[in-house]
Amino acid sequence: MSENEYAITSASLTKRFGRLRALDAVSARVPRGSIYGLMGPNGAGKTTFVRVLLNLINPTSGSAQVLGLDVVRESVAVRRRVGHVAALQPLWDWMTVRDYTDFMAGCYPTWRPEAVSKVLDRIGIDTQAKLGELSRGQRAIVSIAVAIGHEPDLLLLDEALTGLDPIARREILRNVIDAMQAEGRTVLITGQDIADMERICDHVGFLVKGRLVLESTLDDLKARVKRIRIEHPSEPEVQIPGGAIQVERSPRETVFTVEDFSSQLLDSLDGPQRRVAAEDLALEDIFIDLAQSHMEAAR
Amino acid sequence: MLDSIDPKASTPIYRQIIHQIRRGVAAGLLAAGDRLPSVRELAARLLVNPNTVARVYRDLERDGLLETRRGQGTFVSSEAEAMAESERCHLIADQLRVVARDVRAFGLSEEAALTLFRDALTDEKPGRKDRR
Repeated sequence: MSENEYAITSASLTKRFGRLRALDAVSARVPRGSIYGLMGPNGAGKTTFVRVLLNLINPTSGSAQVLGLDVVRESVAVRRRVGHVAALQPLWDWMTVRDYTDFMAGCYPTWRPEAVSKVLDRIGIDTQAKLGELSRGQRAIVSIAVAIGHEPDLLLLDEALTGLDPIARREILRNVIDAMQAEGRTVLITGQDIADMERICDHVGFLVKGRLVLESTLDDLKARVKRIRIEHPSEPEVQIPGGAIQVERSPRETVFTVEDFSSQLLDSLDGPQRRVAAEDLALEDIFIDLAQSHMEAAR
Repeated sequence: MLDSIDPKASTPIYRQIIHQIRRGVAAGLLAAGDRLPSVRELAARLLVNPNTVARVYRDLERDGLLETRRGQGTFVSSEAEAMAESERCHLIADQLRVVARDVRAFGLSEEAALTLFRDALTDEKPGRKDRR
């Protein structure tokens, strides 16, 4: 578990709130230099995971490291090297944008004011405006400008795209991509804006009810999870492989999703009277298929 | 070309970008010696992960379609002109394979399929005013 290979590692990380297991033995690995999308239905534990990394809450058991530092024992050092944006982050409404960035600059010795100005100038945010006067999208841009001001090695974006208009979302994505130009910088992004996450993520993790049910590169995931369509106009019913999910049978066509696609599987399904095809799935469809099948399994 | 990708499409973004560049070469929109945007520029323009763009460039370089000149950027290679012809054939062959699969599945005769294709070619003849 070298510091160089992974920006975040967790080992059997568990967080209980009373009887609820918000995180249930999560062992995650976020490679350095990646944009990692942590997805899951509402209440899956995404925000809890981020809050443990920032030591805003203590884990019940297990451990986590950020940039090789223990999140509990070395939390101050962690905070110095991490930038954080949360949805609807509370900002001091009475402060002007300038007061706020000046204040944050005082907290970090590595502050780069020109990096912050660049983000704010590009969409023309008036630094004399009070934070309370800004639109929701503009506040999100201010938050990300401030989050990258101290040149963090890791950027944590917790639901940072949620509920934003398309222009603000594009601007956030643009800034994440710009931020990635720094060598070895890592981004962890949580949320449900899956089409946006498909654009920028190269690694994904799925949390369902506090459990990390899947962690993969996006490419592997898309190569493995496929929709199989069998057209069988002259056969009444076809056998489907074990483990198939989201099965839809109609009289002359059978469609299902597999989580372990291979060309051998496709060959084994082929027949003289059939037309068999494997279809790529958008990340959004993979998310829905996997979330539903794991929610059912957990019931 | 290279102005947008569709994140909702099921085709992986990596393949969408590769296809746009290959098609650009085949259609003559990209000629030998043309400079491509830097990884950073293209990632920002398409709003995609810079690692994905870097991988596209690397793989197309390996295939000989692109070349990187140290300190200058990524360019369409001098061999691209020669490769354009085979790129054109590849792109058409890929699409015909999809059609061929339906021809077989529908049980159409080869004769009928070829006639249909010849008719389609006639319809698309340059200068024909009534073509769609």
